[in-house]
Amino acid sequence: MDFFERQEKARRHTAFLVVYFIVAIVLMIVAVYLVVALIFTGFELKNAEGDTSGAWSQIQVFIGSAFATLAVISLGSFFRTLALARGGRAVAEMLDGRLVNSNSTDPNERKLLNVVEEMAIASGVPVPQVYVMDGEAGINAFAAGHSASDAAISVTHGAMTMLTRDELQGVIAHEYSHLLNGDMKLNLRLMGLIFGILCLTVIGRILLRARGKNAAPFLALGLALIIIGWVGVLFGRLIQAAVSRQREFLADAAAVQFTRNPLGLAGALKKIGGVAEGSQLQSHRAEEASHLFFANGLKSELFGFATHPPLIERIRALDPSFDGKYPSVVLPDTPAAAAPPPLPGASPLVQPPPPPRAQPPPPPLPTAKPPPLPIVRPPPLPGAPTIVAQQAVIADIGQPRTEHLQYSIDLHQAVPPSIQTAAHDPLGAHALICAFLLADDAAVREKQLEELGRATSEAVRQETIRIWPDVQDIPPHARIPLVDLALPALRRLSPGQFEQFRGAVNKLIGSDSETDLFEFMLQKIVMRHLDTRFYPERRPVTQFYDLRPLVRDAGVLLSATAYAGADDATQAHAAFAKGAESLGQIARTEIPWLPPTECDLTHLDAALDRFAQSVPQIKKNVLTACAETVAFDALIQPREAELLRAIADALDCPIPPFLQA
Amino acid sequence: MMILLSCGFVVLIGLFLVIFVIGAYNSLVTLRNRYKNAYAQIDVQLKRRYDLIPNLVETAKGYLAHERGTLEAVITARNAAATANTRAAQNPGDASAMKEISSAESALSGVMGRLFALAEAYPNLKANTTMLNLMEELTSTENKVSFARQAYNDAVMGYNTRREVFPTNLIAGPFHFGPAELFVIEKPEQKDAPKVSF
Repeated sequence: MDFFERQEKARRHTAFLVVYFIVAIVLMIVAVYLVVALIFTGFELKNAEGDTSGAWSQIQVFIGSAFATLAVISLGSFFRTLALARGGRAVAEMLDGRLVNSNSTDPNERKLLNVVEEMAIASGVPVPQVYVMDGEAGINAFAAGHSASDAAISVTHGAMTMLTRDELQGVIAHEYSHLLNGDMKLNLRLMGLIFGILCLTVIGRILLRARGKNAAPFLALGLALIIIGWVGVLFGRLIQAAVSRQREFLADAAAVQFTRNPLGLAGALKKIGGVAEGSQLQSHRAEEASHLFFANGLKSELFGFATHPPLIERIRALDPSFDGKYPSVVLPDTPAAAAPPPLPGASPLVQPPPPPRAQPPPPPLPTAKPPPLPIVRPPPLPGAPTIVAQQAVIADIGQPRTEHLQYSIDLHQAVPPSIQTAAHDPLGAHALICAFLLADDAAVREKQLEELGRATSEAVRQETIRIWPDVQDIPPHARIPLVDLALPALRRLSPGQFEQFRGAVNKLIGSDSETDLFEFMLQKIVMRHLDTRFYPERRPVTQFYDLRPLVRDAGVLLSATAYAGADDATQAHAAFAKGAESLGQIARTEIPWLPPTECDLTHLDAALDRFAQSVPQIKKNVLTACAETVAFDALIQPREAELLRAIADALDCPIPPFLQA
Repeated sequence: MMILLSCGFVVLIGLFLVIFVIGAYNSLVTLRNRYKNAYAQIDVQLKRRYDLIPNLVETAKGYLAHERGTLEAVITARNAAATANTRAAQNPGDASAMKEISSAESALSGVMGRLFALAEAYPNLKANTTMLNLMEELTSTENKVSFARQAYNDAVMGYNTRREVFPTNLIAGPFHFGPAELFVIEKPEQKDAPKVSF
């Protein structure tokens, strides 16, 4: 089962869920009607003995109570869903999470951030926001959000301090598999619906406060509403638990496949069994979100309502030799004991200083010089072209492997310290993205920097100039990972600063005399992921279920890709034909070959936006065609590879980095 | 039937009220968290700055033997600012804490400016690579502070506006959402970061 099938399945699950909930709500309406009829019309019938309109008034009562119940549930769900529309952040903040500073120097926080960042690069998704629940001593974690770009990962203080790096990696990998399986959207929907039902009990409680001589029926109704509400919540819980349990095993399996280290995850689960607090949460809001968590977050759960499989079963699935004896866990005295070696960027300053910028040529100092970036795709040597099978490209989407994780760890360590520091700081990240868009030509660059200073501030201009020499040396394959790394820091810009940033990026792209496809895609990635933070209301909705209306957009995308990878028009057309052939068969119509003017960046932008609103299967077909076009000359250049990754990112299909064969 | 209608009416009104109060309260909490978080960003950079300054003074000491007064003034101002920052970081937005850090930071910028001006007169010091690096690092940190300060002030403005407009202002009072204070560097002539020129 590949990424697209899993996404499709998650979508279908959501549909089932809605059916279950409709049944539950109908039952509740009937129950409310019966209670209302009993309490109120019971009284009225006594007054109007022999009235023949009894049946009619019963219908009115039924319609009235059905309407009221529906109104309460849907209003409640609507408001909760609205609150959750802000994505994972909303959930993390609801559960008293504290956002971890991306440039934190605390060893435990650094360890957590590094593990999350490595996972993000390995799976090709932007680094999510990381939260710590400071008040929680137990070991637990969750991931929430609608998509990869507004995801948040939150861990308890206990998990951050008590788990070793390997164990933490297992837990985070488990959360990433939820993220890549499309579970998170489903989970947020569930939260919205359950809250709606919960609202009935809130109304019941308000009615219980009724006073006065006619209060008796209201009190009775209030009590009944509370009972009905709780029964409804009970049903909701059953559905929630059923969905959740099945997905936990899946996520455990995926995490092991990802890290290839079952003992890390098993160790974390054993520690949960070993500590007094277990995986329990103190927050009173935890109940609503119990299905999001890594392990059972509630105090006690009856069978059928348990959102997670029993701990021991999960451990045995990972470590069959487990004897059921949990290790006793003592809180480490020195938090640094489990921490990884400090990040180069976070080291104290007065170590070997880098050479001053003013003196060319800069003499390299042994300790300040980072190890060279791992070369994924060495420049193609004659006779040894680099070939990426396009099947492998598609199969890897959303399914990072251990090799990707190792690659990501290497890359993470190879990034120069100055760039590391910059990527984790809002001003630095701002400057980093701008520096990526600067021209190589000194005169053009000078003009660009001037415009940058005008569009933003002197601070941004200075910082961009400062990091430019290091940015220049970053090979193409490391640029998208760096953008992913910089996103958490960029999310911390204030709305005003974000507007300046957006303006500056547009200016820098426009001022380039040539239209560079890669630069454009870079901008698209950054803006797409940041828009979910600054304009949460602009979320795309699935609109296209068939390839037919998108044929022209497919033409734009394939033609643009073909032009980007070919030297002349004939070669480009041949590359295009390769990709368009199979896609045309699927669409049962011809994909139009477009002249450069009709597949420029504006058209491309619109085409990508439309594809982003299509069902997973269409995305898969289009990506496959793009991969075929790119692979036409049997050689994927580093830039082409990154272009492919950028297109996939625009369609919400994270491709892990390409590895050396 | 009338009882039923009025009952439904009461229920709906009650529901709207509850949802409104919850929504308004949550939005205020979110905005408050946002500016507190924004202060954390300043805090990181200020701490870095406070770590850099003693190193700078240590390096300059050998060259500026006759300028003890200035060096001591820098250290004193740095310590005062560090204390003020600890207080502000515990309670970001608090009026007195923010005023204290504002003036302490202004004072520190002032003496740092003097130190940089002084360094101009000592060619040997200017040629020292450690000194050059520290100065560059300090300028960069200075930029980051001003950038983070801008983000913090934006967040504070957002929060203050929300707690003053109708209908959220009805909630702000009873639930003790007080106004938050901006972080401004007070003296206009010291608004700029100390200039480093060689």
